[in-house]
Amino acid sequence: MYRQGDVLIVPLAEGAVPAHVRDAQDEPRDARGRLVLALGEVTGHAHAVVGPGRLVREPGPFGPLLLQLPDGGRVVHEEHAAIPLPKGWFRVIRQREYVPGSVRIVAD
Amino acid sequence: MAETGVPVGVGIQEDSGSAATDLAHWRAVAAATGPADRETAEAGVRRAYRDAGLTEPVRILWADSPRAAVTLLVRLAGDDELGSSVRDVVRNGPWAEARERLHARLGPSGWGAHWNATGGRLWNTTQMLVDRIRTGVVEDLAAPSRTVAGARDRRSETAIRLMLLDAVFGQHEAAWLSAFGSSDTESDSRLDGLAQVARSAGWWWPYERVAVVCERPTELHRDEAGRLDSATGPALAFPDGFALHAWRGMPVPADFLAGLAGLTPQRIRDEENAELRRVMLEHFGYDRYLTESGAEPVHRDATGILWRVQLPGDEDVVMVEVVNSTPEPDGTHRTYWLRVPPRTRTAREGVAWTFGLQADAYEPQRET
Repeated sequence: MYRQGDVLIVPLAEGAVPAHVRDAQDEPRDARGRLVLALGEVTGHAHAVVGPGRLVREPGPFGPLLLQLPDGGRVVHEEHAAIPLPKGWFRVIRQREYVPGSVRIVAD
Repeated sequence: MAETGVPVGVGIQEDSGSAATDLAHWRAVAAATGPADRETAEAGVRRAYRDAGLTEPVRILWADSPRAAVTLLVRLAGDDELGSSVRDVVRNGPWAEARERLHARLGPSGWGAHWNATGGRLWNTTQMLVDRIRTGVVEDLAAPSRTVAGARDRRSETAIRLMLLDAVFGQHEAAWLSAFGSSDTESDSRLDGLAQVARSAGWWWPYERVAVVCERPTELHRDEAGRLDSATGPALAFPDGFALHAWRGMPVPADFLAGLAGLTPQRIRDEENAELRRVMLEHFGYDRYLTESGAEPVHRDATGILWRVQLPGDEDVVMVEVVNSTPEPDGTHRTYWLRVPPRTRTAREGVAWTFGLQADAYEPQRET
């Protein structure tokens, strides 16, 4: 697994990918043609993947995004070193922190 | 961080760009601050009336905030100057039709996917603003109860809430408009008037004879997750002084923020409201608090350091101290603190929990 700041990218076995994901609609790429894993509302800084692949949103409060990279790729961010990723399926998990009585997403 | 400025006026029709460009446009509309473009907004209001088959309003009046608008509307309604609300005809009808058409064309799952890719991205952050503004208007305007101390007069509160139900949210309709107006759907001309108002003004209230339109906020401060957030003043403020204060999305009293500058560990411990105490701790800095209250680290491993602070009459504050793997431009590594559940025993367990994993499952091979 790979961690870039507040995003964790965890490999997922081909067989573990839910069937409906194969036909699910892909997340649109951003204006620069990247797959955005997480976007900062204020700075516009993003954890993003460049190159061929699919990103599918799974519903739910932290609903991990599922990322498919047929040839591998690189995840980049304005404030973190890039991480090369092998080919395959991945879960994308946003970091959260504990708040008494609830949980909130980390926004760094 | 402050957000200012008015989005570039990219129209849905003249924008032949991608869905991503549309989404960025509507995201900017929802967060726009600064003076309304009154001429464009008024033309949009008139157009929305005409497109709904109505006669244009006799008068279009401006208010400096939703609070000022409700105050004005209550007065005008009392003088019987408004006529009936036409929100259903002007907004809900065209809305429902556009949604129905898209739904019929895309099918249920197609519609769901389309919403997720458009309005769904903006919904939470804009709806949160709408809810907070509504609450703020009620808190500021509802008369106090004559019988129960600290409560609001129910009749007065109901009158204000009913008035808020007649509002069209202008710039805060961005989520729906992004779903209806994306480049892969034909622009819906019956929504163009509404979209024009959204791009040039704040909330508005359409009635038979009068429309009241609001200015946009002068200030909007949010954190990276899009939650209202400012430690130095209002997180959201309008030209007439109507304002909301918040810390990472949590509403706080205006005078509370003023007291954050001179905090001491003792004052934090003395605060009885646990939520406000948490804000104080975050503002003061967990690291400073730990240093100044002589806390000892509980556990340390390759993932970070686990700290535990006992607070009187409250659950322990347990945190992992994590070092950012990418150095700052000056070569230092930024440390940050994440609060984890009080049951946490090791640093690895804490960091793993922040990603929803068990301690033994958390094993990143690359971290930056």
